[in-house]
Amino acid sequence: MLIELKNVNKTYNNGQPLHVLKGINLGIDKGEFVSIMGASGSGKSTLLNILGILDNYDMGEYYIDGRLIKGLTERQAADYRNHMIGFIFQSFNLIGFKTAVENVELPLFYQGVPRAKRHQMAMEYLDRLGLADWAKHYPNEMSGGQKQRVAIARALITNPKIILADEPTGALDSKTSEEVMQLLGKLNREEGVTIIVVTHESGVANCTDKIVHIKDGIIGQIEDNREHRASVFGTSTIMK
Amino acid sequence: MRDVLTEIWESIRRNKLRTCLTGFAVSWGIFMLIVLLGAGNGLMNAFMRGGEDIATNTMQVGGGRTSKPYDGLKEGRRIWLDERDVQLTGSEVFADHIDQVISSVSTNATVSYGKKHFSGSIEGNFPARQQMDKIEILYGRFLNDKDIKDSRKVVVLPEDRAETLLGNEVRDSGARFPGVAPSVRSGKQVNVQDMLGKYVRIGDFSYRVVGIAKANEETNSNTVYAPYTTIRTIYGKGQEIDDITFTFHGLDSEAENEAFEEQFRATMNVRHRAAPDDRRALWIWNRFTQNLQMNRGRNLLSTALWVIGLLTLLGGIVGVSNIMLITVKERTHEFGIRKAIGASPWGIMKLILAESVTITAFFGYVGMLLGMLACMVLDKTVGQSSVSIMDEQIAMFVNPTVGLDVALEATLVLIIAGSLAGLFPARKASRVRPIEALRAE
Repeated sequence: MLIELKNVNKTYNNGQPLHVLKGINLGIDKGEFVSIMGASGSGKSTLLNILGILDNYDMGEYYIDGRLIKGLTERQAADYRNHMIGFIFQSFNLIGFKTAVENVELPLFYQGVPRAKRHQMAMEYLDRLGLADWAKHYPNEMSGGQKQRVAIARALITNPKIILADEPTGALDSKTSEEVMQLLGKLNREEGVTIIVVTHESGVANCTDKIVHIKDGIIGQIEDNREHRASVFGTSTIMK
Repeated sequence: MRDVLTEIWESIRRNKLRTCLTGFAVSWGIFMLIVLLGAGNGLMNAFMRGGEDIATNTMQVGGGRTSKPYDGLKEGRRIWLDERDVQLTGSEVFADHIDQVISSVSTNATVSYGKKHFSGSIEGNFPARQQMDKIEILYGRFLNDKDIKDSRKVVVLPEDRAETLLGNEVRDSGARFPGVAPSVRSGKQVNVQDMLGKYVRIGDFSYRVVGIAKANEETNSNTVYAPYTTIRTIYGKGQEIDDITFTFHGLDSEAENEAFEEQFRATMNVRHRAAPDDRRALWIWNRFTQNLQMNRGRNLLSTALWVIGLLTLLGGIVGVSNIMLITVKERTHEFGIRKAIGASPWGIMKLILAESVTITAFFGYVGMLLGMLACMVLDKTVGQSSVSIMDEQIAMFVNPTVGLDVALEATLVLIIAGSLAGLFPARKASRVRPIEALRAE
């Protein structure tokens, strides 16, 4: 198991205590392409925060590659995020005053990789995603699909154990959404990258091989979706 | 390092106007600090000038008037110092501290040379006086032991008195400033050196001029020096003397000096049948403590100016701090992203601190350079002029500039100030939670 969650609980204590995650048990193997689906308020965002080491949890255990992720200092957490997790966000979250290549370089900067080396690596990744010509452009000069591809390059550059995608198509039109999902699928199939997509769109979930349903803070059904037939709207499109 | 600088440049470039306005406040603060310190230095330099010419380990003692009844005598009695006081001062009693004791007698007389003459004080003195008062001899020599022993009729004239005798009535302002040849200054061709070896008339006797002393407002430039023995004999001063001057050693602190003065005063007072603690019976002028006090005054002034300057700078610092807080607020989302992709709290903090220090240091340096320029202008204008007070030319500012030490201190202040200004915003930035990155804009 690459990822293992054992009875993970999380309660928010903002005035009224809110028990969001009520004992999550989940295992994800290396090379899986999984989606976590749930309505808003189901606890999927909280689960994503915990999976991405952006937040801590109260009870239970969370292992990445056999390493217990619990009670980390901010520095350790930052280090783990940097080395083990690649994020893809709904709103791309590229830094506006940095060019595409500089954005892709950033995780390596925090790893202390020398300037020339990280520039060369960033160019390689941009090239793989077909964006070599856009390296010197700023995010506001690019389309949504291009921006998300830059973000994917940034997530991949540290060669992380997991790619965590939070509503990766949320800000894209259906055509671009499909392209992005296909790209993620291709990365998973061809390079064996472990990808976890958090979404509330069934069409997006349908692109993945396994769908984990979460409802009211507990894991419900885990669907095997290797046939990609889960979507009620058909198998080949993402409905918007 | 280059990466951090690039980041700072990117951040500042996006907010040029705001950064410049804030930076101006910092520049102004440092500018004021430098100008204040420069002006303060100028003032102190003018005040201290000449003071440095006096040996600091001497005390001068003179007779006063009693202020307390003692030993059956009423207060208000004049005390005259005499030869026995000199002997007592130089005796075993004070041998622990006192080295050399000299005394002087003086009289008022008219000194004439040909048709020219002037009235002034003639002081009978010892050769050691030259060391103690740092009298600078321009031509010839000061009094020597043989003058004293033989009661020779010789005098040392101050520069400007010699000029008077040579016929130069005009005393222009340049007379006070050394390094300007007398002959250049006045219309008449006068060379004080001509007075050497000439005989001047004082009272009924002729005296040979053996030396010309440099005019110095701090050490009674108007005094004509003659051998002690000569004046005492001719003017029939008997045992009476005007003052005692002695050098001392081993009194390093103000407290030690005070204790010694107390002991000395008591001993001397009793000899004159005055109360031992009567502070008015004798006056004691301790140049060492006076010097200490002057230094303390200088330090106090300098401290006061630093405080004022730093307070002015504080306004600028608060401005920088404010701007950095706004920057942090604007960039919260960005910091969240950076943290999500692996920036440590220190990595974020460093960014803000470095930006704060850079802004402060850059604009501070601009202010410092302008301040030093202003000091130079001050030096070239006010620094060259002098004010005439009671016929004395007094320079108000002497060299009103700051040294390299102040520049270094100011640099240090800027770096500390920049760090302080950035500290609070940087802490705020470092506490941005990485979850911020997930929040849609």
